[in-house]
Amino acid sequence: MTARPYLAVFGALLALTLVTVFIASLHLPETPTVLIGLAIASAKAALVAVFFMHLKGERPMIYWPLALTVFLFVALFAFILWSEADHITLNASMGTF
Amino acid sequence: MQHIPYTIDVRPDTGLTNPKLGIWLFLASEVMLFGSLFSSYALLRSGAPSWPDQSAVLSVPLATLNTLILISSSATMVLAWVALKWHLPARFRLYMGLTLLCGAAFIVVKVFEYSDKFAHGLWPSTDNFLGLYFTMTGVHAIHVLAGMVVNAYLFGPGMQMWRVEPERFTNRVEVAGIYWHFVDVVWIFLFPVLYLL
Repeated sequence: MTARPYLAVFGALLALTLVTVFIASLHLPETPTVLIGLAIASAKAALVAVFFMHLKGERPMIYWPLALTVFLFVALFAFILWSEADHITLNASMGTF
Repeated sequence: MQHIPYTIDVRPDTGLTNPKLGIWLFLASEVMLFGSLFSSYALLRSGAPSWPDQSAVLSVPLATLNTLILISSSATMVLAWVALKWHLPARFRLYMGLTLLCGAAFIVVKVFEYSDKFAHGLWPSTDNFLGLYFTMTGVHAIHVLAGMVVNAYLFGPGMQMWRVEPERFTNRVEVAGIYWHFVDVVWIFLFPVLYLL
């Protein structure tokens, strides 16, 4: 048991937070800003879950309920985006999303 | 009094202690709670003909500070658990105390942010974005406060367990930590979605 991996993850989380703010300050077009912002947030969340929450090396009994949760979470978003696809396309063409 | 079974030893059928399986099942339900809020945000924003410049309405520097505070609290929380694994209760109290301070600092910054919005006449009823902002950050702040109550108990009276059942107390801290890290994960997504994108 050593604290070193946790400190390394802490450093990575701080660095990724600053990268997120820096990229947002560049005022890139909306789509790449959203994609990059969410990708960095996902990477940070994965670091916290795998190391701080000890998902690394956890039992399958944890993974299965989490896999079901992820599936339902994705389905929730997929159905909303599917039902709103015409609005998104329209708003994207107007430059509002 | 009947003791809760499998708080130290793992259950043979699940391979886990009961508290650990319990907290993960609880967090699965929490994912769907916050999922409903995030999906509401996606629905309302994608369907809106126009959307305010979020970074102009909200304070990005304050939100960045709060992000750094909450990430630091996650690190101190896990280090508190490591200290117990090393049988260093004094160090545990130091790190748990820092975790509590970070949680309090997060809430203070959030109160400051809310007060500033109210002073400028910006309320949850002003528009859809502010309605979502106050709802999502408010629900998250309630979760931070709930975690602080548990952590304060473990820092104070709950630590008496360390003398009689150190392994059980260590497991309690780990479970409380898993919840605390989840609250951090939610903020990791709230920060870019509400303030930067």
